[in-house]
Amino acid sequence: MKGLMIKDLMCLRKQMILFAYTVAGVLALSIMYVLSARFGNIAAANQSMMIENNMSEIDINNLSTEALILFMLIPIAMVGDTTTIFKMDGKAGFSGVSSILPISIGQRVMAKYLTVLVMFGIGVTVDIVISFVLSRLTDIMTFADFFGIIISAASLMIIYGALVILFCFLFGYGKEDYAIVVSCAVILITAILVNLKRIKMIFISMYSANSESIDFFSSFINFIKHKSLVLFIIAVIVMAASYVVSVEIVKRKRGMV
Amino acid sequence: MNVIEIKNATKDFGDFRLDNISFEVPEGSVCGFIGQNGAGKTTTIKLILDVLNVDAGEIYVFGQNIKEDSAKLREDIGVVFDEMGFHDFMTGKDINIMMKNIYKNWDEKVFFDYLKRFSLPAKKPCGSFSRGMRMKLQIAVALSHNAKLLIMDEPTSGLDPIVRNEMLQIFREYVLEEDHTILLSSHITGDLEKLADEVVFINGGKIVLAGNKDEIIEKHGLLKCKKDELKEISESLIVYAQSGTYGAEALVNDRKACAKLYPEMIIEQASLEDIMLFYVNRSISGKAADTSDIINK
Repeated sequence: MKGLMIKDLMCLRKQMILFAYTVAGVLALSIMYVLSARFGNIAAANQSMMIENNMSEIDINNLSTEALILFMLIPIAMVGDTTTIFKMDGKAGFSGVSSILPISIGQRVMAKYLTVLVMFGIGVTVDIVISFVLSRLTDIMTFADFFGIIISAASLMIIYGALVILFCFLFGYGKEDYAIVVSCAVILITAILVNLKRIKMIFISMYSANSESIDFFSSFINFIKHKSLVLFIIAVIVMAASYVVSVEIVKRKRGMV
Repeated sequence: MNVIEIKNATKDFGDFRLDNISFEVPEGSVCGFIGQNGAGKTTTIKLILDVLNVDAGEIYVFGQNIKEDSAKLREDIGVVFDEMGFHDFMTGKDINIMMKNIYKNWDEKVFFDYLKRFSLPAKKPCGSFSRGMRMKLQIAVALSHNAKLLIMDEPTSGLDPIVRNEMLQIFREYVLEEDHTILLSSHITGDLEKLADEVVFINGGKIVLAGNKDEIIEKHGLLKCKKDELKEISESLIVYAQSGTYGAEALVNDRKACAKLYPEMIIEQASLEDIMLFYVNRSISGKAADTSDIINK
């Protein structure tokens, strides 16, 4: 199993080089952002928004938080695309090799999931380092807030990764793009269904001019900052379920995956 | 002891059916698995390796049912397919890193020795290798984890005679060890004639012939005669008859009996290729050819 993971990580070698460049870019940009939000043009813009647009300090803080969340998401999102492994395996006909190795189907499938977790582990580690640096430079967010956001983002990406692997096995080689689209659709539809009531209220608030939409976004930010454990538990459950279903799919499609 | 034992194995794909096949491969032998393309050779090999699920019947490898723990059994099996399967970017070194973390008995010294012997560069991506080099790489992998059984599916097809000969030499060296066994599938019967002890001939998903190669060759004969002489031959002796350029030729299933019964006729030793061709033609036509048809042609 370890050997298969090593092979999978070899497949992602090019992606990792790109990841290193992106991390360096994100680090530089996020440092520039927090410094500017404290001493530079962004700080001045925030001040004028508070005066001219009648925005509160909390609103400004939320805006800055959203920008920082984006910076945090980039490294994790970069390691999220594991379809590369399936694409490369399909192109090489690697199933011919993996099926004759002394590794059970369960272990072969497990190797894919562990590779995804290793990749997310790298993304999370990099994010923690960046957030540690940023939390020393700004009071927009504490390190604990950053950590909550990282765990939330990683959990969301784990759910996405688990679904992508499942659909890649289900659809077979050469249909990885469909797996991405269907996984995104599943996550989006689930998110909409879970928040249907709130979304409805946002639309109502658009016509009644209350602050429901802003409340929605601040409650969303609070959720990912402080309730990351809930998302993490959901991610673990989805991943376990995805693994069990994937093993069954591979057993059924033996010789093809 | 039989290293491979297949008992009434059936696999149905809808458009193709591997029909109730049974054969054995004794330990220490080289078994040639012959048949035309699409006869069911690869499917049988995949069933032996538990890559495909068998619909009915039982398959034993090293005396153990493959359904019990096929992954563990594969530790002692080296496999070579006609297509490589390694990623183009992978070098010999990459493959070594991967395999030493998979096979318990992986011997990297043996692997790099084989690479050296085959003149394969260890640091060059295998995507740039020729077909011959790719096959050699697969063989190097298959021989580097102390496998007791080597299963090869068309390893020599598409290779030039020099590389083919080199490979046959490696296989010969491999079976010098008493407990080493080879199952070699091929439609190039010439290679098997040089190497095989046992032969299993499959056609249309059914086993047509199985047994000792020398005995099969010894038993069959190629009878050449005038077209009108063909009707004198007992039909039970003829596997299949066809008209040739100057007369008729028939594959007979008992050369000695035929020579005794018809001493005036020429009966040559049949090659594996002749045997395969005549049996395939018989299965296509559905009968041992109507001698009157040939005479009238």
